[in-house]
Parts: sequence; C-alpha cells; structure tokens
Amino acid sequence: MLIENIKLAFNAMRGSKMRTALSLLGIVIGVASVVAILTIGDSASKSITDSIAVGGLDMVTIYPSAGQRSSGTFDEAFSDMLRRDVEGIETVLPQNSSTVRVRNGKESKSVSVAGVLSDYGDVLNLEYSEGGFFEAMDNINRRQVIVLGSTVAKDLFPDQAAVGQYVSLFRNQAKSYLIVGVLESKDATFSLSYNNTVFIPYNTYSQRFIRTSGVGAYVVKVAEGFDTIEVSDHVTEYLDDIVGTDGYSIFSPASLAEMAEQITGTFSSFLALIAAISLLVGGIGIMNIMLVSVAERTKEIGIRKALGASPNVIRGQFLVEALTLTLLGGMLGIALGSLLSYAVTNMLDWSLHLSYASFILAMGFSMFVGIFFGWYPAMKASRLDPIEALNYE
Amino acid sequence: MTESVIRLEDVTRYYLMGEFVVKALDGVSIDISRGEFTAIMGPSGSGKSTMMNLIGCLDTPTSGYIDIDGENTAGLNEAELAYIRNRKVGFVFQQFNLLGKLTALDNVITPLLYAGASVRERKQTAIHALERVGLADRMHHRPNELSGGQKQRVAIARALVNNPTILLADEPTGALDTRTGNQILELFEELNSEGRTVILVTHDRDLGMRSHRQIHLRDGRVEA
Repeated sequence: MLIENIKLAFNAMRGSKMRTALSLLGIVIGVASVVAILTIGDSASKSITDSIAVGGLDMVTIYPSAGQRSSGTFDEAFSDMLRRDVEGIETVLPQNSSTVRVRNGKESKSVSVAGVLSDYGDVLNLEYSEGGFFEAMDNINRRQVIVLGSTVAKDLFPDQAAVGQYVSLFRNQAKSYLIVGVLESKDATFSLSYNNTVFIPYNTYSQRFIRTSGVGAYVVKVAEGFDTIEVSDHVTEYLDDIVGTDGYSIFSPASLAEMAEQITGTFSSFLALIAAISLLVGGIGIMNIMLVSVAERTKEIGIRKALGASPNVIRGQFLVEALTLTLLGGMLGIALGSLLSYAVTNMLDWSLHLSYASFILAMGFSMFVGIFFGWYPAMKASRLDPIEALNYE
Repeated sequence: MTESVIRLEDVTRYYLMGEFVVKALDGVSIDISRGEFTAIMGPSGSGKSTMMNLIGCLDTPTSGYIDIDGENTAGLNEAELAYIRNRKVGFVFQQFNLLGKLTALDNVITPLLYAGASVRERKQTAIHALERVGLADRMHHRPNELSGGQKQRVAIARALVNNPTILLADEPTGALDTRTGNQILELFEELNSEGRTVILVTHDRDLGMRSHRQIHLRDGRVEA
C-alpha cells in the first residue's frame, strides 16, 4: 500500500510539474540553507581548530611576566619542579628567544633566535629537509651550532645545501654558527613562526644573549592519556599559588581550539535556527499545494471511496503524498546545501567537513513538516462525502 | 434462488434544502434475491439515484433498515461501509468514473488494493477480470486511449474484480451509442446468467424491460 501510495504521489507530481517544483523550492531552499550553514560552520570550526592544532594540541606554553624573570622563581630548576608537582606532564622545556640579524656573506635578514634544549626537536615533532637537531652535548658544551627555519635557509642559501656551512648572528658582536639542520616548512602557530626562526642550544643562548638564569618561556608537553585543558588548569592553579595571576601568562592551543569551536558552534546553531524558519515557510507552501491537490482531485477521491477506500486509506494516500514531496525536497536540499558548502569551503580554502548530523536533522525536519502540514489537507480529503465527491465536476 | 441479498425495510431518505425537507425516498420496502436481474426505473427526481446510493452504501438512510447480503448496515461507521462497498458491491457508472491517470489494469487493480490482496494476486485477478470483459489486449492503455464502450468494459471489470454480491449499474449505457450500449447490456445479461445479482438503475423504459423485474419509483415511493 505504501509503495502504491508513493507511486500515486509521483503520478500526482508529474500531473502538475510546475506547481510541484515551485512548492518543492520552499523546502529545498530551507533544507539547503540549514545544511549549508551547519556544514560551513563545522568546516570553519574544523579549519580554525586545525590551524590552532599546528602548535600541538598537547602543548601548553607558560610565559613569565617581565617582572618575574629576574625574581628567581622562573629558572631552569623550575622545569623539574613543575613536572614533579603537577600530574600529567611529560616534559617541560625552558626556552628563550629574541630577534637578531643572521648573515651569510652579503645575504642577511632579521629572524627570531630561540635558545632551546636538544629535546625540543623531538618534543615538537619537527621535521628536517636537511640534517637534524643538535645534540645534548652541543648544549652542555655551549657549542655554536644552529638549526635554520626553512625560509631562513632559502633566503640565505638559495642555491646550495646549508648544512655544514656557517652563518653569523649579530648581537653586540658577530659570532659564527655551524649549521646542523634545516627544518621542513611548517605552518606558523600563535607563538612562533617556525619558518623564520633559528634555533641554537639553550646554554649557548644564555651565554651569548642574556646573562641571567631567567627563562623566557616554558614549553610543557602533556603526557599521553591526560587532557590538555585539565592539565593546563592544574598548571594555572599551581602558578597562581606561587606567583599570583599577574606573574605569568599561559597559552594552550587546546583551550583556544575549544573556545573557537564553541563560538562557531553557537554562531552556526543560531544561523541554522533562522534557516529552519524558512523551512517552516516551505511547509506552508506544501500545505497550500496539498489543499489545491485535494480540491482538484475531489472526483478521484469520490471514485476511490466508491471502490472501497476507507477514510484512513484516503488520509494515508495524501499524507504519503505530502511526505514524498517534503522528503524529495529534503534530499534535493541536502544535495544543494552540500554543493553550496563545497563551493564556499573551496573558495575559502577550508577542508570540507560534511555535517552528517545536519543531514539527519534536515530529513527529520522535512518529515515533520510533511506530516504537520500534510495532516490537515489529508484529513479534509478523508472526510469528503462520497456522493458529493463523485458528482463533483 | 430465493435467498435475499438486498432488503430495504421502510427506508426513508430526507434532505434539507434550505428550509425545505426533500423526501427523496419516503418509505420504501423491497426485497431482491440472489441472481435476480432487477431494474430500478423512474423519471429523474423519482429517487432512483438516492436508492442506488443507499444500496451501494455510499449513503445512509434517515430511517428504516437496509440489509446487504444478510447484514444489517444500520449504525456502521465510514470504514465499515467502505468495507461493504469494496467486497459486496460493484459500481458501474454512466460516466465510467475511471481514474484518468491510471492504466486500465491499474484501474481494475484499485479495489483489490483496498481489499489487501498481494501484488501477484492483484495482477492475476485483474487480468482475469479484463479477459472476462474482452479487454485483455488493452490493459496497459489509459482511459483517454479507449473508446466509450471499452471504458465501460474496464469499469465493469473493475466492478467484478472483488467478486461482489451485487453489480450496481447506474445508467451504464447512458453515455454510449445504441450499438455499444446494447453490447454492454448483453455483457450484463451474461454476467447475470452466470449467477450474479444485477441491479440496473435507468430512466429508459426499453432498457428496463430487458431485466427480469422492474421496480418503478415515483416521488420517492415504489409504484405498484
């Protein structure tokens, strides 16, 4: 019976193509906008999260305030203290950085120089186009070795391999550094532009660039199995106790990603709600076409009743017709909405993240609209008096 | 042959037309036996159509009782009346009343659909009914591709398909030329000779005379 009703519904649609198409349009536009908004919202959120995640979702960076650097709290020993006192921390890497000029012959440019421990490369999963990171011994012996970011290497050594060559760093006086590695190009994070940075051993940096034991920043890697945001919260509590809220600032890509996700989520839900109103308008269009359909087919309803169709059967026929219309509109809307999302994400260079939840939501809503707005016309059809309907011309 | 299939007992059907009460049927009692070929005759406005609608369970009486196939129809709801129309009554109309968007076969299948027959059963039974009226070769045509006589044959096949107790024909030859009308009437006679109860509603005296029994209506009453 359902199959026959669906066939009848398609028959009816074929009978009045233009009218069907116009009333479908309402549903199609409604569903398409819901799907597009949720999908584009998801893709935006995903793309923001992705760019934040470059910095490592398991990383938390602590920046002591300027006033705290010479207080003695934030020294190298603080790394071990933090790891001991806060659960869930794998490594704490102290780092210092500043801006210098780097030169090879006539080529020179301004870069960030970071003094880091030899573990840094592994902890941050750095990849190399040439050579590798420096060794622990380089740090202990304060050797003048250096790892270049990809842009730095390209600018200073456009036509030749950089590893094995020397560059000069200028601070009060020029010092020459042996290049041991060049990084693969890596997207910038909020705290660091890898491509335009050079890395030297922590102790070398301390000796050459600052003469205190203060540390500029600590990169904290969260141990596997621990939630970054939770660990970050614990670190915050710990630091508040020691130096107060003004003594430091803390940055974690994970909490930023979470915030970004919340914002885009709220925003796209709000927009989808507005789009859902247009679906409601589409539903009124469906009710309209169904009422016209019932009026136009009064004679058919009379004949069917004479042949033994009960009121339930007639109601079923017209409900299925309304449902077929809205579900068809829903499917077309999902297709159109996905296409629209594809176009928009492609244009903005985001990765398309199809929101399957929105598909289900859209189909569910279409079905609801079909039943809700199809009910009254179907009831009307089922209650027609058979004799009056039969004699209707 | 004396088993009663239709029994009307003091049936009235009044309509309210504005402030006036129209007594379309005013105390009619008749008894039709299985296998009879009966004509209900009378001029227009005599109550023929009202009587047909009542016998066909498209309408319910203002007072009185109607038994169809031994079953009292008083107090039945819409769905129960629909069931009787589906199983016990086969309608044939003057204007054929075929469903224009469906093929002849699908038209004949429709009552089987409402009877809940299986897909296979529906097709077989419907084809058989179309064969019976000599239209097996036209079953995939739509009504607008059929002649008047062919349309009426499809309608008869549709009326027969659920093997009803009563064939109820309302001016079945009214929209046909004499020759075609004659063929349709012959078909009814054949079906009657096979044992079917046929009720022919007509204002045409010649047509009525070909049935075995005539019931004359005038002003809502049976004429003696």
